[in-house]
Amino acid sequence: MSEIVPALRAELAKIRGVRSTSVTLALFAAFSILLAALGGWSARTAIDSHNPRLRADFTAAQAGLDGILYGQLALIVFGVLVVSSEYGSGMMRVSLLAVPLRGRLYTAKMLAAGVMTAGVAIPVTVVSYLVTQTALGPHGTGIGAEGVPRALAGAVVYLTLMCLFAVGTASIARNAVIPLAVLLPMVFIGSQLLSALGLTKDLARLLPDQAGARMLEVGSHQAFSGFAVMLVWTAAITALGYLRHLRWDN
Amino acid sequence: MIDVQNLTKRYGQATVVDDLTFTARAGTVTGFLGPNGAGKSTTMRMMLALTRPDAGRVRIHGRTYRELKYPLTQVGALLETAAPHPSLRAEDHLSWLARSNAIPRRRVEAVLETVGLAGAARQRIGTFSLGMGQRLGLAAALLGDPPVLVLDEPGNGLDPEGMRWVRELLRGMAAEGRTVFVSSHLLSEMSVVADHLVVIREGRLLADTGTGDFIRRHGRTYVRVRTPEPGLLAHELEQKGASLTMAADGSLKVTGLPAGDISRLAAVHAVPLEELSVHTGSLEDIFLGLVGTEGVREGNNHV
Repeated sequence: MSEIVPALRAELAKIRGVRSTSVTLALFAAFSILLAALGGWSARTAIDSHNPRLRADFTAAQAGLDGILYGQLALIVFGVLVVSSEYGSGMMRVSLLAVPLRGRLYTAKMLAAGVMTAGVAIPVTVVSYLVTQTALGPHGTGIGAEGVPRALAGAVVYLTLMCLFAVGTASIARNAVIPLAVLLPMVFIGSQLLSALGLTKDLARLLPDQAGARMLEVGSHQAFSGFAVMLVWTAAITALGYLRHLRWDN
Repeated sequence: MIDVQNLTKRYGQATVVDDLTFTARAGTVTGFLGPNGAGKSTTMRMMLALTRPDAGRVRIHGRTYRELKYPLTQVGALLETAAPHPSLRAEDHLSWLARSNAIPRRRVEAVLETVGLAGAARQRIGTFSLGMGQRLGLAAALLGDPPVLVLDEPGNGLDPEGMRWVRELLRGMAAEGRTVFVSSHLLSEMSVVADHLVVIREGRLLADTGTGDFIRRHGRTYVRVRTPEPGLLAHELEQKGASLTMAADGSLKVTGLPAGDISRLAAVHAVPLEELSVHTGSLEDIFLGLVGTEGVREGNNHV
């Protein structure tokens, strides 16, 4: 079992070395922080000018978590690429020569994607929040405000699970096109659309991203149930991805 | 030592590898020979646990590939379809491989030096020429300093100088007592490097024998002679027991007499020679010969 540690270190080195994965991870950080700044700045303008289009439920604390919700787009692409870059290039065979036990390779890959995401998500979440508050100026609030630390921690958990969900989906598809065509619309249109329609509100709450998003809500009472639903989704997709990985015969 | 027993792989109706049994021994270069599509790569993928056999097994020093602890330190492999990600730098590729098998970091520089890529260490693999890619693949195979090498067509994409370098590398590895198992579809390439040949065709074992023995038995070596006096020379050659045929262009195709003897014979009889060249029949010719005579084929099936 000690061989899992070298396998994990190798996967981490691969993520850093392959251009597409390191670039998407950097884009996640850049997008999140940039959108956090833009969000804070536009909210401040709206408040100052008493713009009626400002959301009724706007709170400075919650606005501090908006940036990463858009930044997750890049993170999903990252998770997909961690796997698809290997199937696409023939590197999966090199990886299997180095780590022939498929369970070990898959676990190492999942751990590496998770560790990498969490490692980047922690500073990005905190910085995004602080950037939004700074941009809000006098309307901003502190990082220690009621419910904020838990929401920030929830955001890191959400982002990490979302990335693993993407890794699992790509392992099932063994390419990038299908998972991206499913995941990106699901997160940005599908779920929003379903909730907006209202008809399937309860159903939408069971979607992984919608459920998981409760973790990011400051003061939400559904944070834990949301986490549980998203965890079940991620575990299921990861398990399916593992079965597909086991059966890859090439 | 690699021990292959009753290895079989089917894809649908087609049996790609059919009940193969052979051994590659330590201290020798074993050539794995067969025309394209004979099942060489599939066999090698099964040796390395990338493809699941339908029957049979492969043992490397008594264990299956999956049972090996840190396999890169025990088996060095080069496969055409196992390609590194093109956006990685050569050094980074070897570096993650080293990490995965707890291989000391200094090995990365050492193998880059060995294969002549030290100057391209920071270059992205996607910018490599075919030959450089092949050298990097060899570097990856040598990274763990393994006692066993499994190499699929290592000469691919290399220039003549590179080919010679690979030959010397393989000979050197075998001389150090390693097991070197190397595939090729070219008999000419194998005849100069392999001590032993495992020959397959359509997934089946055709021969498992020493290289010299194989060539003596099946190598259709002939000498082409061109002279303004073919009649006279032909007469003298036949006197010496050579068998010959006259080609359409008037040249003689001589078998059974070495080129040196022909040259001396021509000199003795003052017959001018315009061409004297040695030719070896291609592996395909040998295969055609082998399957043409079922008896020959059976005779070489040392199962």
